Amino acid sequence: MWCLSGLFGSRVGPAWYPLLRVVSKGSQHYPPVRALQASAVLGRASNEHKEPLASPSQQHFDSPPAGHQPEQKPQGLHHSYTGQGGQQSEDYESEEQLQHRILTAALEFVPEHGWTAEAIAEGAKTLGLSVAAAGMFHSDGSELILHFVSECNSKLSELLQKEQKLVQLGEAEKKPIDEFLRDAVEARLRMLIPYIEKWPQALSILLLPRNIPSSLNLLTSMIDDIWHYAGDQSTDFSWYTRRAVLTGIYNTTELVMMQDSSPGFEDTWRFLENRVADAMAMSSTASQVQSTGEAVVQGLMGAAVTIKNLAGLNQRR
Amino acid sequence: MAAARLCRCRCRALLSRPAGAVRARRGLAAGPEMHFGFQTVTEEERREKIYQVFENVAKKYDVMNDSMTLGIHRVWKDILVHKMNPCPGTLLLDVAGGTGDIAFRFINYVRSVRQRQLQRKLKHHQNLSWQQIFESYQKDEFNSLGDSQVVVCDINREMLKVGKQKAEHLGYSEGLSWVLGNAEELPFDDDKFDVYTIAFGIRNVTRIDLALQEAYRVLKPGGRFLCLEFSHVSNPLLSRLYDLYSFQVIPVLGEVIAGDWRSYQYLVESIRQFPPQEELKAMIEDAGFFKVDYENLNFGIVAIHSGFKL
Repeated sequence: MWCLSGLFGSRVGPAWYPLLRVVSKGSQHYPPVRALQASAVLGRASNEHKEPLASPSQQHFDSPPAGHQPEQKPQGLHHSYTGQGGQQSEDYESEEQLQHRILTAALEFVPEHGWTAEAIAEGAKTLGLSVAAAGMFHSDGSELILHFVSECNSKLSELLQKEQKLVQLGEAEKKPIDEFLRDAVEARLRMLIPYIEKWPQALSILLLPRNIPSSLNLLTSMIDDIWHYAGDQSTDFSWYTRRAVLTGIYNTTELVMMQDSSPGFEDTWRFLENRVADAMAMSSTASQVQSTGEAVVQGLMGAAVTIKNLAGLNQRR
Repeated sequence: MAAARLCRCRCRALLSRPAGAVRARRGLAAGPEMHFGFQTVTEEERREKIYQVFENVAKKYDVMNDSMTLGIHRVWKDILVHKMNPCPGTLLLDVAGGTGDIAFRFINYVRSVRQRQLQRKLKHHQNLSWQQIFESYQKDEFNSLGDSQVVVCDINREMLKVGKQKAEHLGYSEGLSWVLGNAEELPFDDDKFDVYTIAFGIRNVTRIDLALQEAYRVLKPGGRFLCLEFSHVSNPLLSRLYDLYSFQVIPVLGEVIAGDWRSYQYLVESIRQFPPQEELKAMIEDAGFFKVDYENLNFGIVAIHSGFKL
């Protein structure tokens, strides 16, 4: 969305984007794993309707396996052959929910096994499934990482929303922009701390060509989120520059955090503070440069006129 | 929902085989008529005939595989095991796995994964004392297979015999079990296995739907069904070359190497009779598997179907 509007470079991007955000807000909590499947369109449409049906089917997955399999049949979770519209989307919804649960369970094994199919297999084991269920996902663990990133983004969204509510209710003061950005980025990066040892591996997997569309999507939607809650309502080119700047700040701070060994990551937070301050200064510098530019041009014009006078070319008697 | 393939085929004498396969018309036939290659036989007869085919070819099975597929079948089987990506502790059931090809590959894979795991563990444990290391050996924490097991099940005694001899010859001793059983009626309890594979075997099963239902039954929840089988080539040029090779070259090779023209004629015809990729996918979904998918190898000469019991 952000990328596309950037490609066209028109005012269209910022103007209708807030509308799109309202529509897609509802589906932001679902993992991007579904976005990678062709069924995502079907799934997302039916999801909003089928939410109440989700819980009974989920219970069937929770219940102990022995002897319960034949009972599952009449539920209509099979027969994807016959049921096209409604039943098929119900299948996808329960499959995806199950995948979501397996990935969530797998996260606790990441510090030990890394972002690999082994962690997913251990996660599946805790849910009572066979280790072969890890075969549903790609063997390099990409889905696990994307799931984790999307979960972190949702948590950040909720956090920012809560803060915004407090400000609206008058219980808290509205923070100045640089402090807001700093706190938001810090909160988001703190979510990485439990997995910090294996995070470089995750970053490298996210940069694989196969994963770049999804990881870029997640990154841009997160940055957009932060600016949205910071109160950005710009509709001109500064929409792009703001997001580009914050993306730069976020990425560089993340990299600094990877090799930071100071207690409590103080070096990282100081680095973040400096970068945000730089960014704020940059905007005033820009206008300064402009006025300086104008002043310089005027000075040159004056010099040119003086030289012409001296050379006697400006004969106005 | 039952997908038993009843079809009426034109009877053909086995020896007079013109080039170019004729697709059998699919329709309901009166009585339990089945196909055996391009012949029409009853279910009982089919089982008998197939048993005899494999009894005859058992000793030369591996040699024939190598010569027919020019050794590519090894790559196919390797790809199957890589796709499975088993981790140590997996329980595999290899049905129709007579000579043990998949079982041996599984053991090799699991062994190497286990090695890497142990190396990583040891790196963390470098500050242990000698006493502690010795104790961990006693606990058998460092066993080389990590409790993975493979059960090779086949309906044919001869094939199992050849498999056992191969295992002894190649030095595979632990983690292997050999069981005589029918894929349509497995002698195992429910919810036992992590992965069920059937490589180049499901074509010979008389009631494929029953075999799929049995596969569903013996798998644990979350378990995976993998099927490696010859399938249909959609590319017309390749299909013609493939037909030519199948019907002209393979039976001749069978006669020269194994001394058995008819068995290999049956083999080639049974490939043509087997349902194509999409149909098999539908049958697997009917048995209750989810996330059913297939991957064509070599443009459809061989396909790997995968499904999960969720």
